[in-house]
This record gives sequence, structure tokens and C-alpha cells, in this order.
Amino acid sequence: MRRWWLLVMIVAVLGVWLGLRPRTVQTAQGGLVGLPANPAGFAQAEPGRTFTFPRDHGPHPEFQTEWWYYTGNLKTEDGREFGYQLTFFRRGLAALTEIPERASAWADGQVYMAHLALSDVGAGGFSAFERFSRGGAGLAGAQGEPGFAVWLEDWRVEQVGEGRYNMNARAGEVSLALTLEDSQGPVLQGEEGFSRKGHGQGNASYYISQTRLRTAGTVGVGGETFAVMGESWMDHEFSTSALGEGQVGWDWFALQLSDGSELMLFSLRHADDPQKTVYSGTLIRPDGSTRVLGREDFSLEATDTWRSPHSGAEYPSGWVVRLPEEGVELRIEPKIADQELRLSFVYWEGAVRVSGSRYGQPLSGQGYVELTGYASSMQGQF
Amino acid sequence: MRPKVWMPAGLWLVGWRYLARHRWQSLLMVLGIALGVAVMVAIDLANASASRAFELSTEAVVGRATHQIRGGPEGMDEEIYVRLRRAGLGIPLAPVVSETVFSETLGNRPLQLLGVDAFAEAPFRSYVSAGGALPVESLSTFFLQPRTVLLLGETAERYGLGVGDRFRVEVAGRQTEMVIAGLLDPPDALTRRALDGVLLADIATAQEVTGRLGRLDSIDLIVTEGQTAVLMQAAGMLPAGTRLGPVAERSQAVEQMTAAFQLNLSALSLLALVVGLFLIYNTMTFSVVQRRELFGTLRCLGTTRREVFWMVLSEGVTVGVLGAALGMLLGVWMGRQTVGMVTQTINDLYFATTVREVGVPAASLVKGGVVGVLATTAAALLPAWEAASVAPRLALSRSGLESKARRAVVWTALAGIGAMLLGVAAFQLPGNGILTGFGGLTAVLVGFALLAAISLVGLMRGAAPLLGRLSGFLGQMAPRNLVNALSRTSVAVAALMVAVAVTIGMTLMIDSFRHTVQVWLASTLMGDVYVSVPSTTGTTPMTALDPQVVETARSWPGVERMYVTRSTILDGEQGNVHVSAMDNPGIENERYYQALFVPRGQLWSAMQAGSVAVSEPLARRLGLMEAGAVLRLNTRQGWAAFPVAAVFYDYASSEGSLLMSRGVYQRYWADESVTALDLRLGAGVEADGWARELQSALGGQQRLLVRSNQTLRADVLAVFDRTFAITLALRLLATVVAFIGVLNTLLLLQFEKQREVGILRALGLSGGQLWKLVMLETGLMGMTAGLLAMPTGYALALVLVYVINQRSFGWTLQLDIRPEAFLTAFGWALLAALLAGILPAYRLGRMPAAEVIRYE
Repeated sequence: MRRWWLLVMIVAVLGVWLGLRPRTVQTAQGGLVGLPANPAGFAQAEPGRTFTFPRDHGPHPEFQTEWWYYTGNLKTEDGREFGYQLTFFRRGLAALTEIPERASAWADGQVYMAHLALSDVGAGGFSAFERFSRGGAGLAGAQGEPGFAVWLEDWRVEQVGEGRYNMNARAGEVSLALTLEDSQGPVLQGEEGFSRKGHGQGNASYYISQTRLRTAGTVGVGGETFAVMGESWMDHEFSTSALGEGQVGWDWFALQLSDGSELMLFSLRHADDPQKTVYSGTLIRPDGSTRVLGREDFSLEATDTWRSPHSGAEYPSGWVVRLPEEGVELRIEPKIADQELRLSFVYWEGAVRVSGSRYGQPLSGQGYVELTGYASSMQGQF
Repeated sequence: MRPKVWMPAGLWLVGWRYLARHRWQSLLMVLGIALGVAVMVAIDLANASASRAFELSTEAVVGRATHQIRGGPEGMDEEIYVRLRRAGLGIPLAPVVSETVFSETLGNRPLQLLGVDAFAEAPFRSYVSAGGALPVESLSTFFLQPRTVLLLGETAERYGLGVGDRFRVEVAGRQTEMVIAGLLDPPDALTRRALDGVLLADIATAQEVTGRLGRLDSIDLIVTEGQTAVLMQAAGMLPAGTRLGPVAERSQAVEQMTAAFQLNLSALSLLALVVGLFLIYNTMTFSVVQRRELFGTLRCLGTTRREVFWMVLSEGVTVGVLGAALGMLLGVWMGRQTVGMVTQTINDLYFATTVREVGVPAASLVKGGVVGVLATTAAALLPAWEAASVAPRLALSRSGLESKARRAVVWTALAGIGAMLLGVAAFQLPGNGILTGFGGLTAVLVGFALLAAISLVGLMRGAAPLLGRLSGFLGQMAPRNLVNALSRTSVAVAALMVAVAVTIGMTLMIDSFRHTVQVWLASTLMGDVYVSVPSTTGTTPMTALDPQVVETARSWPGVERMYVTRSTILDGEQGNVHVSAMDNPGIENERYYQALFVPRGQLWSAMQAGSVAVSEPLARRLGLMEAGAVLRLNTRQGWAAFPVAAVFYDYASSEGSLLMSRGVYQRYWADESVTALDLRLGAGVEADGWARELQSALGGQQRLLVRSNQTLRADVLAVFDRTFAITLALRLLATVVAFIGVLNTLLLLQFEKQREVGILRALGLSGGQLWKLVMLETGLMGMTAGLLAMPTGYALALVLVYVINQRSFGWTLQLDIRPEAFLTAFGWALLAALLAGILPAYRLGRMPAAEVIRYE
């Protein structure tokens, strides 16, 4: 999922050099020309990997790209709602075998990028921030042992106990100081953590999630601090692969439902042939067992659209999801229409509300949706 | 529209025609003022270029940073940066590792190896945006591969290098090979200039190449107004021995250092202009005297005083404008020749500029032009006023001015003495300012110049009988002629005198300086052989020697004793302080002390207990001349106070330096590095050959300078002479202008005396006798100027040595008077005057007597 970042990372490096935030694809395209197509020496995701935790929560520099994706829905005691996103991306500039031994701690061949966004549902506000750093010298990095941690300067998620994590990030007037608690353990998405993204060989990633992290702490926005509680979702993926032909973007859903189950869905959209769109997902039952979902197992229908006044992009904004074999029908609505991140790349990622039923019994929930490839400027990129 | 209030259009023509008819005269005036302006523009250009080069060199490093965190001599731990980053201060921060390196491949010059973290750079250094156009391969190589740098495209092209090419760089005396990862192509010219001397490296590369693993030189910050809380927070996180301060603090300190040097050059450059002014004044006065009849007639015809005034003044302004324009052109050309000399001197004395090409700052041109025109106008004021004051009735009295001038001789002399007293008084003003120093100097000089008239009258009266006996009637005539034309001859003599006196004064000062430095070197350089790493500036070498080198040298056969020194820059309460930490217990006998605040023979033990010895310039600058003075330095354990035990004479730098015992230094800064070795050889060892042997033995480890005492002395004196090369050129130019002045005066005198000469010729004066007369006149003028220049030059030397040098650079010089300086200068004055007489004599000689008399 979200391999789109593969490209972002490269463009982001260029963005740093440009000394400005590239908003247009012209810049990105300019930078993408001449990219080495073959990431020589990097490991490829293959089925049948055995995962060990917490080590595998940490970085895998033998793969080119890796990310840790935290999203969550939070609420104050009196019901004021917030959504947050804190994402760390790692990209290896070269395969480990290609990186020469260096004496300086500053040269480790890794680049990190992070995004922080806060949706202030009550006030209808949304803000997003972006940071870059080199790995090395302790400025940015990740570790699996002895305890998991990932950080970019002062944005940091760190394991503080068995299944317990502290999250801290601050930018502008936005801050997060949260404790996340995982009571069910990591979920291996796809085939035991091997997630296919297309038909080509190696066109896949390793995909681990923590789909329900009990969350408590404080959120700061606009000079005020709020004590909040709620639930978060963590995705951790690593891979080495080039983009599939003709893919323009994707819609991705992470939903936490009131019956204790979670649902992850994505569709990888193809530019001209809807038949070539890749659908995939996982249903995580309350007992922790999972069911892999293919394109025949669910339907995804957009019911509304929202046009960004900033980028002019038109996004789907409201969906109906059906899982016939599970008797599930869900309506998904953004908590705020405008949750568009206008950073090095423009995309929509936001908190959503879920309502619906399972075999007639009412079902509710919340989650996060990511929509990429809709900003007009990105047409033709994938 | 013609300014009608000033004068009618026709009068413009009268003035213009006059200038056009007296081509020689006008040309010389223009030339004189042009030279004056040119010298001023040239020096100003050179100064401005040097400053700009420094600014650009600094800007390349500092960028838009407002504040900087700096560490001690060894830089600071990179962890400090990481901690600050991870504290989430919310302000831009950027780490820097920079080092002045040297590349033979890239034009044999100092370059700035600038190590940065590209991810933190965008807010700081504009040229980072230049990387935007780089191919991804270049960026990836830059980040991943060791010893890779980015270079300005033009620079690489100039030396025939391209992406992927290797070139050699010398870092701290060690040769290393670098690879060009990519070429930068910034859009604006300013960035190009700044980048011309920069090797841009990834911070990891810079750490590796300089061997400063785990260390940073500085951390740049951008803090806006009102973010003081953040600044306090950051400062609170810093360990002892580091300092957070505004960026300007540091560059200002350097600029203050060079300011004195540049001010001295500027003052000297004004000299040519001042001499040029004498010339203008002189010529304008002449032209007024010549045209008294014309002015009388004009006045009779109804022209007002005001109109006559403006007419004459406008002539002066015309000359001024033409001269200034020509001077600006000439100045730019001369400036190009000079800038190298000025930059070299600044490199020798203060810092290495890596920027070479800077544009012509318009301000220098404008300044030169405006000063030239204004000064000319001012010089023309008095003659114009004189012309305006001609009463129509007195028009025929040609000698009106002369009789007036002779009456004024005594008053002028009195004014001269007054000016001198004023100058002496200016030196007593509190504050010891450089400007009051130069003000006083000018007053003294003007005072002496005002004595020119009375000296001329006195000398001529005394000389007439003697000359009469020697050369008959011509010998009596010549001095009288000079006195008769006193208003003009005295000015010409004054101009020549000033030029010659300045030559004497400067020569005496430089001689004294050189002598002082020689004596100082003899007392300070007691070692037989010195070892250090070659430095890009002429200042104290601060690059650490390989520990291996130190050990090899210590055990090399022939060494009796070895002392080591660590020279570095430390952070003091009043700015940076150059420090030499050494282990030579005999230090008390190897310096001359201006003041010793501990009992004789106790200096070393006092230093071992934590006292320091400061050089005279440092003591003056920081006010440490008294017993009980204390210097506070930022150590790794925080601020510590170091009592001053002695003030020693030192001419190595005008910034001043401090001597500390190595033990104390290591205690406070935990730094084991050694930057220089002082080797004492056993008796009978021939130092030069020995040094060569050691050099070839050590050469493989690190490029080193192994110099015998004698060689080092010669090297220091070479730098000294290079420093004063420019003043030599300036003195020469002032003399050229003075020469033009004398030539002009004589040409004018010749015009005036055409009839007189014609009659003399008609009465039977031979051509040879005429030559003799003219030569006698000019010779007498030269002699008067030369004689008066002697006391003037001596006085100037005193002022330069005891006032200007001390105030500008903090150096006390031992006055060293050599009679040759006086004799040479006198010879020059005489020669210049005689040479100036050739053309007038030739022209007078060729004039047919009959025609001259028929002239009217």
C-alpha cells in the first residue's frame, strides 16, 4: 500500500535542494527523469517471510522504502473530536552493498521524511506539516531493538513498555503528546504479511499493522491543550519495487468498527482501464483472526465528491462499502471535507465516520482514508 | 536653462576660451586633479573590493544566519546539534564544518571547504538552491560517496574539470584527492562570486576530510525579533566553552581589524589629491593674476562682482569635472592593479579571502568623483574671490596681488604655526582615535606648508648675495624673481614640499618599523629550526601537526631541546583572542616586555599558575596595560579569569595575541594539538641543511614548513615588505602630482615673463644664460621645498610612529633615523624641480626676441 511515497521520497530530496516546497508536478517530473529504474542490490519482498517483534517494527534498510503510518481518532471528555496523522518515511539512497563504509556518523545513506496533520473536527480546522532529515547522527532514524522507536528530530514514537508507545510531535501551533497501547499484537496483512500490489514480480511489500491502539494524552492546537482519548491505527510497510504501469493513485481505508473488528481496504486505480484497478483488503475479527479480501469479496462505491478550493482537485467524499459474505454494509463520511495535505505532494488524508449494519444489526465506527492521485497536477504521473 | 542669476552666457565663453587657449595649463590642471582622484578611487576600490571579498567569503559560509553557536579550539560535539534539533526549538538550525584548504589544481589558491547538511540548508545559504538543477546521480553521489564535492560550473570549467573528475586538495598540510560529484549553476552573479572559492561538501565528507569526526565548527541559527525566549532556551542547552552570539559579532570584529589598515591606506590616497589641490589653487591664482586687466575691463563694462566670481569658479569646476571624470577611469584601471596588493596584505595580516572577483563598486567611483569636483571647486574659491574683488580702477595695477601676498607672508606663517599647534593639540584629545590622529597629522602638514612662503622669502634673501657672487647678475635675479611671484612660487614650493615631506616621513616610519621588527625577531626567534604546517594566511599557523611528526622531530639526531606551541583562537569576553600555548620556560628571556607585573624571573612560574602574557596590541585593544588586569576566556569548564602577568612587544599581528603555558591551556581546553615546533640544536649543527634533511624526512607525512631561524626571519620580513609595497606606489604618485604642479607653475611664470625675457634677450642675454636663469629659479624652488621638507618629514615620522601606528595597530615602534632618507628626498625635490624647468627653458629659449616684444 501507499507505494506512491516511493516517488515522493525522491522528489522530496530534490525539494530540499530546491529550497522550496515543490507543488507542481513539473518540478517532480523534472526530477524523476533519469531516475535509476532498477534499484540494484535492494532486497525484494517475497512470500513466506517470518517476522520477529519488536525487531521487525524497526527499520529494514535492505529494502529501499519503508514507512510507519500513525492515524487516529480522538475525543475530549466533552466530545470535541480530533483526527491526527503522524507518518515517517524512510528511503535508502542506495542498497546497503552500494553504500561505502564511512567514518562520519552523518553518512548512513538514508533519508527520512515525516508528515504531521491535525484535524480539529469541532472547529473544522485542518493543518499539516512536513519535515525532512538525513538519517545518521541521530537526527532521524528507527530501531526495533531493544524497543521500537522511529523519529525525525523531535517528532518521535517510542516504545516504553510491552505494547506501549509514546508519541510526541510539535509543529507550529499543533502538538501531540499521546500514549498508545496495543492489546492485540501486530496484524500481518495480506498473505502472512506479504501484500501484493500488482501482477509484476516483486510488485509487493511487507505490511504489518497495529489496527487498534488505545490512545490517551493531549492534543494542542491554536494555543490550547486538550486531554483526549481514542483509538489509533499503525501501518508499517517496507518494500523495493517500481510502480505498476498506468497506476494513477489509490483510495485506502482503515476502519475501526464498534463490534471490535477492523477493516483495511484499498483500491489501486488504473489510468484508463477500470478493469485493471487492484482491490485488496483485510478483515480483522475481534478475536484477532483475519480474512484476506480480494476484488470479488467487497465493493466500494463513491457517493459524493468534494472539490478542493486550494488545488482544484476533485476527490470522492463519501462511500458505501459492501462485504456481502460478511453481511456488512458501511457508509463512510469524512469528518471534515477539507483534509487535503498540500505539502511536497498534494493528497487527501482524513478522519472519517462510519455507520452501517451487519446482518441488520447497527454498526458504527471511525477511521482514516487516504486518497492520492486526484490533484489535477498529478494526472499522468502514474 | 543657463543659470542666469549667476552670470550671462557670454562670460561662459570668456572662461572657456581662456582654458582652451592655455591648453598646456588646462591639461596639466586636469591631469593633476585626475591623478589625485585616480589614486583615491583606486585605493577606495581596492579597499571596497577587499571588504566585499571578505563579505562574500563570509556570506558563502554564513548565509542568512542571524546567530551562530561556536565551540572552542576543537569545535564542538555534533551531539549538541542533534540535541538542539530534537528539542524542537521551532527555528531553523544548520550544522557547519568549514576549513580553508588549498588546491593547486584550482588555481593555486585558498578555498573554502564548506561542509553542510543539505536537509537543513534551504533557509540559510542561497546557493543550495543551485543544487536543484543537479541530476539525481550527482545528489546521490554527493550524499553517499566519500570525498565528493560540488563546484561552481565556471570554476570547474576554468580548470578543465568536469563531473567525475578528480583533483588534489591540501587539507591541513595533507594531500587528498576529491571527486567532483556535480556542478552548481546558481542564477545570480553574486552567488557565483561567493561560490567561486567554495568546495561544497556534505557534512560527513567535510568531517572525514578534515579529520574532525564527531565535531562541528558552528551551528547556524535564524532567529527573528521577539524569539528571544527560544534563543535563551537554546543557550541554556549549550555546554561550557560554547557560545551563542549574533553572526555579525564575528565578522564585525574582523572588519574592525582591517578597518585601521584600510583607513591608513585611504588617508594616504588622499595625499595625492591634496597635492593636486595645491596645483589647482596655484593655476587658478595664476590665471586670475594674468587676467586682472580683463576683469577690470569687464567690471568697467558693467559685469558685476558676482558674475566675475562665478566665471572664474566655473572654470575651476570645469577642470574639476574633466579631471574627476578622467580620474575615475584611471582609478578603475589603477584599482585593478592595486586590489591584488591590498587583498594580499589583508590575507597576510588578517584572514584568507577565497573570493577573488568582485565588481567595481559604484560608491567608490561616485565618492572619488564628488570629492574631486568639490575639492577643485574649493581650491578655486579663493582665486575666484580674488578675481571678483578687482576694482575696475586698479585694473592696471598688475602687481596688486603680489604686494598683497608679500604682506600676507607673516600672517600666513603665523597661521601655519597656529595649525601646527592645533595639530599637536588634537593628539592630546582623549580617546586616542585614529581620526583625530589623522586630523592632527593633516593640521601639522598644513602648518608646515603655510611656512613655505616665509621660508622662500627668507632663503632667497639669504641666498641672493651668495648667488650673486657665484653667478653674477643672474644669481641675484633668480631669487628676486621668485620672491616677486611669491603668491605662485610659494604654492608650488609648498606642494612639492608636502610630497617630499610625506616621502621622508613614510620612509622614516617604515625604516623604523622594519628596524623594530628586526630587533623583535632577533629577540623572539631564539630557536634554530621551526616546524609548522603551511598556512593560507601569513598569520600564525593554526593547523595541527601530525603527532607522528612531533615525535619524529623530537627524536631526530641533533635536537638538543624541543618546545611545542599550540596556536588557536579562543572565545574571550571581548571577542576572539589569538592564543599561543607553549612550554618554553625561558619565555621571559625571549621577549621584550613593555610591562612585567610579576617580579623578574618569575614569569614562567606565574604562567604555570594560570597567568598569561599579552601582546601590546591586545593589551591596548582590551585595556590590559595595568597591573591587576584580568582576561576572561570561555573554557570547557565555563568562563575563567586569567590574570595578566606581562605585556610584551609583538609585531606579528595588530589583533594582538596572548601567551599561555601549555599546561594551563590543556587543563582548561583539553586539547593536545601542537601547531608549531621550536627546535634547539646542538652546537655546531648547520641549521639550514639540517632543516632540509628534516623536511625531506617528514615530508611524506604532512606538508610542512621546516625553516631555519634565518629563513623564517627572511620570510617574515618579506611579508613586511609586501605590506608596504603599496605605500611606496602611493608616495611615488603624490610626487608625480607635485612634479606636475611645479612644471605648471614654471610654465605659467614663463608666460608672464615673456616680455621681460624678450627684453633681456634683446639686451643680449644669451640662450645659455637664459637656461641658467630658469634652472636657477627652479633649482632654488626645489631646494627650498627640499629643505623645508626635512623638518616637516621628521615631524610626520614622529606623528606616524608615535600616534598613527600606535592608534591604528597598537604597535610601539622604535624610531630609527637614517640620514639617507633626508638626503634622498632632498635630491628628489631638486631633481623634480630641475626637470620641471626644462620645458619652460626650452620654450623661452626658442622664442624670438623681436616677436616677443612685438607681442603687444
